[in-house]
Amino acid sequence: MDAIAPSLNREEIPVLLRGEAGPASEWVREWRAPRVLLYLSVIVCGAGLFGAAIGCWRAPLQGLYSAIKFPLVVLLAALGNALLNSMLAPLLGLNLNLRQTLLAVLMSFTIAAAILGAFSPLMFFVVWNTPPLEPGASISVTAHSFILLTQVGIIALAGIAANVRLLQLLQHLSGSVSVARRVVFAWLAVNLLLGSQLSWNLRPFVGSPFLPIEFLRGDAFAGSFFESVFRAVARLFAF
Amino acid sequence: MNDSTAPLPPMPPLIPPVRPGASRTPAALGENPEEQVPITGLVSAFEAILRQPRRVMHQLRQPGASNVITALLIIAAVCSVVYGGVVGTFSGGVQLWAAPVKVAGGLFVSALICLPSLYIFACLNGSRVRLVEVAGLLAGLLALMTVLLVGFAPVAWVFSQSVESIAAMGALHLVFWAIACYFALRFLDSGLRHLGEQSGGGHTVWLLIFMLVLLQMTTALRPIVGTSEVFLTKEKKFFAAHWIESLQKESGAKPPATDLPR
Repeated sequence: MDAIAPSLNREEIPVLLRGEAGPASEWVREWRAPRVLLYLSVIVCGAGLFGAAIGCWRAPLQGLYSAIKFPLVVLLAALGNALLNSMLAPLLGLNLNLRQTLLAVLMSFTIAAAILGAFSPLMFFVVWNTPPLEPGASISVTAHSFILLTQVGIIALAGIAANVRLLQLLQHLSGSVSVARRVVFAWLAVNLLLGSQLSWNLRPFVGSPFLPIEFLRGDAFAGSFFESVFRAVARLFAF
Repeated sequence: MNDSTAPLPPMPPLIPPVRPGASRTPAALGENPEEQVPITGLVSAFEAILRQPRRVMHQLRQPGASNVITALLIIAAVCSVVYGGVVGTFSGGVQLWAAPVKVAGGLFVSALICLPSLYIFACLNGSRVRLVEVAGLLAGLLALMTVLLVGFAPVAWVFSQSVESIAAMGALHLVFWAIACYFALRFLDSGLRHLGEQSGGGHTVWLLIFMLVLLQMTTALRPIVGTSEVFLTKEKKFFAAHWIESLQKESGAKPPATDLPR
């Protein structure tokens, strides 16, 4: 443990945030356990804090559940797609192996989690200033929309920043803008596909005021995210 | 007639004169010997934040930065308590101690809430800044803002002794706060640029977030200007909704001026 502790260099996180592709591409080429541990801890803490902030609007227990589940979605999406991502990269012109692919994806998720973690005090403050999401509580449509828009805005900011940095890294590794764009687009597509389904299975995160607080819904593995979206669209347009 | 080789007449001096090698980018911190003088103690920090902001920025990058930050935070705490006391004189009674606590507490909590996102935005903008430097700049922002508010305190006190309307008094405090905020944010902006920030997109978003947090804090910690039976009102409201309701309440049927609640 003593040997590992000094190797955990927290200064690597600001370098990732600044998008310094030179050092980041060196780190991708070399698999080091302390570095992976650092990325995992940033993801667990950052995404966990943000999950707690969005969950505690419903109740403190829901906050705890969301703090566990939010990083879980991120990590399961990264691990579940690791093999596919490592196959797509060489096919699209970037010669990276499984470990290097996983590290690159973990780096981008680390950036997103660091941003989410940094914004979690703000999210807690917004939730603290909003009427509680409890049955019978009078919550205005404006307040509800504002809090949801804030969540979406912060997640979008984190996602965009992470993908821009990933694009810069892949551009440095491949030496080609078009290859980097193709790889990022492919990875983004498969990560969104798995990530959205995982978030459906691990719901609720915010929690409906009319349903009990649970770690997982009873029908967690029934249906899919895309079916529910399709049904919602069908209901909206009545076809 | 062939005077093409004749020497050109000397150019008139440029106003302001441009030093050789000078560019449009700001001079590096610490170039001026005055900026290298260490900030020791509260008086030195007080003078530096008003007169030599670049000295503060330079000292935040030096080994003894934590002393400068502590001095700035003490100045901010004292000044916000003083200004809060003046805010409390409008209603008197419990508000004489509640308003200073809320003004100082609200400012510090707002800064703590926004510190991580400021650091992240600075990094995303390419700045090689350390968290302690960002914290120092934010402490400088708080110190400058509250020092300016203390400057407005006599004016605010005079108005608080004669104005009857809570909404009008609240609006006046907001105007003073907005002016102080403008200069304080200018300090932060300049500091971040000196610390190597390359683009200001994220920085502008952060300024907006910080202003919104401060405004919401005035509603979350209400009443600050007026009075209430409880220290903090439990009802959750967004600041814009609270302001509109306060204005509607005041513009409704008013009792005679002498019976107005203070």
